[in-house]
Parts: sequence; C-alpha cells; structure tokens
Amino acid sequence: MSSRRILLGFAAALLAGPALAQAPAAPAAPVPGWAVGRPEGSTLAPHAARMTVTPLDQVPVGAIRLPPGFQAEVFAHGMPGVRAIAEGPNGTLFAGTRAIGRVYAITRNPDGTTRTRVLLQGLAQPNGLVMIGNSLYVFAVNRVLRYDNIEANLDNPPAPVDLTAAFALPTEQEHGGNHHWKFATLGPDGRIYTNVGVNCNVCNTDRDKFALLVSFNPDGSGRRIEARGVRNSVGMAHHPVTRELWATNHGRDWAGDDAPQDTLLRVRRAGEDFGFPYCLGDWRDPQFNAGRNCAEFSQPAALLGGHTAVLGMRFYTGTMFPEQYRNMAFIARRGSWNRSRLSGFDVVVAHLDAQGNVTRVEEFLTGLRNDAAQTFADRPVEVHVLRDGSMLVSGEQMGAIYRITYRR
Amino acid sequence: MRLAGLLAAALFGAAAAFSAAAQDAARGAAVSAERCAACHGEAGRSAIEGTPSLAGQPALFITTQLILFREGLRQVPAMTAVAAGMADGAIEDLAAHFASLPPGPPQDRRARDPALFAAGQALIGPRNCAVCHLPALTGREQVPRLVGQREDFLARTMIEYRDGVRVGADSQMNGAVVGLTDAQIAALAHYLSQRE
Repeated sequence: MSSRRILLGFAAALLAGPALAQAPAAPAAPVPGWAVGRPEGSTLAPHAARMTVTPLDQVPVGAIRLPPGFQAEVFAHGMPGVRAIAEGPNGTLFAGTRAIGRVYAITRNPDGTTRTRVLLQGLAQPNGLVMIGNSLYVFAVNRVLRYDNIEANLDNPPAPVDLTAAFALPTEQEHGGNHHWKFATLGPDGRIYTNVGVNCNVCNTDRDKFALLVSFNPDGSGRRIEARGVRNSVGMAHHPVTRELWATNHGRDWAGDDAPQDTLLRVRRAGEDFGFPYCLGDWRDPQFNAGRNCAEFSQPAALLGGHTAVLGMRFYTGTMFPEQYRNMAFIARRGSWNRSRLSGFDVVVAHLDAQGNVTRVEEFLTGLRNDAAQTFADRPVEVHVLRDGSMLVSGEQMGAIYRITYRR
Repeated sequence: MRLAGLLAAALFGAAAAFSAAAQDAARGAAVSAERCAACHGEAGRSAIEGTPSLAGQPALFITTQLILFREGLRQVPAMTAVAAGMADGAIEDLAAHFASLPPGPPQDRRARDPALFAAGQALIGPRNCAVCHLPALTGREQVPRLVGQREDFLARTMIEYRDGVRVGADSQMNGAVVGLTDAQIAALAHYLSQRE
C-alpha cells in the first residue's frame, strides 16, 4: 500500500477531527480514533479481541438464558473472531471476521455435527459476506472479491473475481482507520446493500461519501445512497413483507453513558437522512449540532441503549419459534466499552405492529453479561435464521456459533 | 465521566480475564528455547540489531503478533517460517512465557544522550503515546511495552509505520507517527529505549 495514500488519509482525518489544537511547528498527531473526545483521566478503552481458539469446554453456552421453551447449543466452534454469517444454496454457512482476516466455512456432517474450515485468510477485516446464487461476495474494507461456485470448492477456493474498482468504496486510509469494515446483505431487489461508516468517532465529514447506507448492482455498478447521516451500521435486513430496509446504527462515543443511544433505523425511502453528526432522533450532539433542528431528520424506529453496540439483525421468517416472533426483528448487541457499566452482550427482539412501528423491545438471549462482576462471557455479533427455523447467533469473543431452537 | 477509575479498572479486568485462559509459561519456555531464543535472547532480551526484545510484553500483544504473522497479515521474512502452522495453544504458551520474563534493556544499550532523550520525551505528550501504551508506556492487552525496547528496532518500526510499509492489527500507529521527521523518530526511539 502506498505511503502517500496512508498519509493523505490521515491528513483528512486530521482535518475532520475535533482535538486538533497543537503547536504550529509540527504537524498535529491525531488522537487514536477510538479516543477522540475522551475526557482527561478516563481509562475506558475498547475490549481486546481474542484471536485464539477457545476450547469447547470453555464456550459459555451454559451461561445463555432464553425465554421458556428455547434451548441453546453450540452449533460450531473453534473459529476465533467469528462474526457475520451468510448461507449458500446447499446449506454451507460462511462466516466473516475482522482482525484475524479469515472467512470460515461451516458444513454439516451426516450425523448432524458440523465441520469448520478456514476458507480464506490474510484479508483485511473480511466481515461483509453476501451469497448470490453460487457466488460468495467478500467485502474486506474496500476490497470486493467474488468467489464463484464456492460450495463445490471449499477445500480449494478458486481465485476470486476482483470487483474492488467497480465498487470504489473508500479505502482504510480514507477512513483514517475508523469504521472501515463492512456489513453486506442481499436485498429482495437483487442489489447488494452495505455500509460506509464515518471516518472518525464524531466529526463534520463528506456526507455523500461517509456515514451512509449504500446499495449496488452485484457487479458494483449503479451506486445508490439508501440513507445518509448513519454513523455506522454493521447490520441490516429487509422486512420480509414490506421489503423496507432496516438497519442497526452505533451512536458516537464520549458523550455520556446513556446518550446518544444505539438505534434501529427503518428506511422508508431511499436517501433519507438520519442526522449524523448533528442529531440522533431528538438528541442534539453537544459539539456538532450546528444549530440544526432535529425534527428535520428521520427519526429512529427504536432506541436500543447507550453504547450497546447493536450489530447483526434479521427478521424471523421461520416457523419453529412461536407465532409471536414471526417477522419480528432479532438484534445482536455486541456490548459496550464506552460506558462506566457494561450494557448489551445479548440479543433483543424488536416487536413490530401491523404498520411496522416498533411497539416494544425485549430481551431474548441473555446471561453473557455479569453485572455484579462487570465481566462478559461472549459478544453476540450476528443472528441468522436457518431453514429449519432455528436461529444461529455468532459469538465473536469465544469464536463460537450458537444455535437456538424451540420445543413446545 | 462521573463514575471514575474504579469501574474503568474493573472493565479492563473483564477483558483481561479472557486472555489468560489455558496458557502455560513453562511449556512456552520450552518452545521459546527451540524457536525464539536464538534471535530474541535467552531471557527475551534481544542482542541482535533490528530484533525486538519480548521480555515483559503483554501476553495478548505476543499472541496477536504471532497470529498476524501466521495468517500472513504482517509480513516479516524472519518470522514467516517460525509462525507458519503454529498452533494456537503454542502461541498462547509463548505469550505467557514472554509476559512472565522480567523486562529490561539489552546489554548493548548505548549511553544516554541527554539532549536526544529530552527531545524524545518532549514528543510523548503531543503524540498521545500514553493513550494506548499507558502513562508508563508499558503497554496493555494488545498494545506493546515500549520502555527498554531496542532503540534500533523502535526507530525502524516507527519509520515503517510512518512510511506506510507496516500496518498493525489496526492502523492507529500510522496515524500516531504521521509527519514525524527521521530526527524526531530517532529522538523518540532513544527516549523510549532509555526510559526504565
């Protein structure tokens, strides 16, 4: 990677960042992105990822709590950093990661157990996965790679078709190392939907380039802004009936334990504006509001708690779970770091009425957060509905995927 | 932030608890003697120019770097074969081993140059080093200990970050050293290597 691009990227980050008053002689050094706005004396910092295999007997499935009738089991394990999940037409599950740079493939053995493989490695944060026909699309920051006929070649994946230039997503350097990883999903219209997170914690930025939900034709053409002013979304799904795009969104850090909240967004029409960095719902950013009236922006469908780190979301379209869960939004909350007490580390359900309004949000999968000890046992990142109606939940910290079933 | 350091310290504890699982420093010592000590030193203090000391590094830092080597995400020719195919358990054992060794400067550390030391010290605050490496610059979790490291290694590493030929587990260091001159990097490296 060229040094010029890195330096340009950081120069851009410098211009965008707020904490820049420095001596005029030397170029200003940016505070690390995660720490921009951190008050003096705070020692809060992101939790470190675990990049090694967690032995099965240490996978905390026994800690998981669910409503009556539901059970949790370990579906697959031994996959450090496991995050987003995509499913092939023959039932192979693909799982992305961030720092460890791998894409895993999970197949089922005849006896019902699973087999995991490291399908791809050495990629930069390959979190975004989309399956279209027999092709797996991998979004690794700005790189977009298409692996054709992948399920027939799990032991020897083919060289990918490189679509990076066609998608032309901002590079890691342009992001200044902030919110550059992708979530990606296939829309009912056959387009690929993904996020372009903001290139800072909070800043004034190019609102046509960052803090967006965007969609593309699968070949990378036809870029369309689906929503703007969305700080960073790492989970999206289309409503199975209305086909509207819904997304989770992370609020900024260092503005307090409970504000702004992470949110669930309902995109009613392409291009609507959710207000970052000026507003989030009716919350005015204390530094970046710029005199804007928050009522001029689209309002979130639900507030999901301060710093809970809402990630993967899917509407439940199976029939195994009780009827009350049909078409409701299951949302993984990876859990907080920028908060004096832990929040999240669970899966919640947003219940919708017939008009698509969220009527309540309730806990579904809990038990991974220990409030007394202020520890956590795993970090849920993605939810995925299998064809039998059971639900997978990926646990990034312990490298496991849990399967949730229901028996009457 | 009204609720101060106690709770924050508890949070660090929470994250740290999980990185300590199932590591065995004694097993790591045996692996180190075979694979690491020839270059990184018997006691984890390197006597070879350009090769870092590992004694007293945070276990998660050692683990992370070995995995980045193994996965091909960080490419250093001398480490490619060493890390190839290394099992997670062996990596965790090595990390526990190096973390358990008392840190200290290399035997061939040169005498302190007071002017260069002061010039380096003056850059620590403006460059925000303590935000990630902590005020003692001893590192935490995936962030390395800097004090007492080999001066030549520190200088080369910062130049590689500045010139974009190295990216870490994330790109924070590329931002931290942006715009530094060679002379400023030399001063920082001298200060860090001399500080106890």
